[in-house]
Amino acid sequence: MNQETEKQALLRALLKGSRENASQVIKQFIDQDHTIIDLYEYLIKETMYEIGYLWETGKISVATEHLASAIVENLMNEIYHLIATPEKKEDLAVICSIENEQHQIGSKMVSDVYEMNNWNTRYLGANTPKNDLIHFVKSINPKMLALSMSLFFHLPELESTLQTIKKELPGLLIIIGGQGLKHGSQDFLKNYQNVFYKPDLFSLDSFLKTQNQHD
Amino acid sequence: MTKDVLTESANHLSQACCETIEEYKNKSSLLVSKMNASMLKKSNLINIVGSDNIEMMKDNHANHVQFISSILKYKNTAVLIETIIWVFRTYRSHGFSIEYWSVQLNEWINILKEELSQNIFDEIIPYYKWMLLNIPSFVLLSEQNT
Repeated sequence: MNQETEKQALLRALLKGSRENASQVIKQFIDQDHTIIDLYEYLIKETMYEIGYLWETGKISVATEHLASAIVENLMNEIYHLIATPEKKEDLAVICSIENEQHQIGSKMVSDVYEMNNWNTRYLGANTPKNDLIHFVKSINPKMLALSMSLFFHLPELESTLQTIKKELPGLLIIIGGQGLKHGSQDFLKNYQNVFYKPDLFSLDSFLKTQNQHD
Repeated sequence: MTKDVLTESANHLSQACCETIEEYKNKSSLLVSKMNASMLKKSNLINIVGSDNIEMMKDNHANHVQFISSILKYKNTAVLIETIIWVFRTYRSHGFSIEYWSVQLNEWINILKEELSQNIFDEIIPYYKWMLLNIPSFVLLSEQNT
């Protein structure tokens, strides 16, 4: 899918700090019969990578990068009415970014994919302390836990979290995703039962649809 | 030098043993603290890291030990190379000089030698020598990617 025109329009709006213009771009994209996952994967994700690249190359400041992220999170809240489904399953999923991981747009997108598949969700956001997460998960007993990690150097925290959860709740299904697991960094997950790596929202959506068929 | 040649040389670096990973990780705060102190003593620091970049330099040192800890534990050549290229490009774009990389890596080597057990140092040092040796390649690759 080539959405270069929309991507450039969204990029311009975010760099300008115009929530209104960015909202218009998102609305037009959805009106063209694109799915929410198309919107997240092809438009928002790609545009945010471009924002990240502009910071890396010294063309924008951290402040501008944060402004863009804040606008994107607001836009995601704006379209929540298109995501929420009236008929929820009883199944519950907990979604968050692991301890020390400050990025949360990805895990928020993951939470929305669960909701679109009729799951009840508890979205905890970024940098969720390991012990608090485990207490929370034990207290509400979800069917699935989805963890996001954007930076490779948080891999030890991810593995430590997995080890503790697997000890406390061995049967819990765990989904792992995020940019920090590229280039084969997810290989160690094969050592854990009921832990699945999903590289993007499409694969997560397919997995959840398969789960729904089994219910 | 291409990424393929870098990959070939990086493949010879060994995955560290648990004891090495543990000691490096446990001493990481001390290593970062000594590194920052040592760099801050340099009279030409502004020439090396650029103006208004002291905090960014400290961030880099903190991220460095976290990254090396992860690489020692989950050896991944592609991540090692891609991340170093990313770091070179990003920090250069924000005003750090090319000299920063050799100054920084030589400082790390001195501090690691002082603070780590000899056998642990011996296991880690090939990574630092590999990074130091390949600075020109990383500079080149980071400029190509811009």
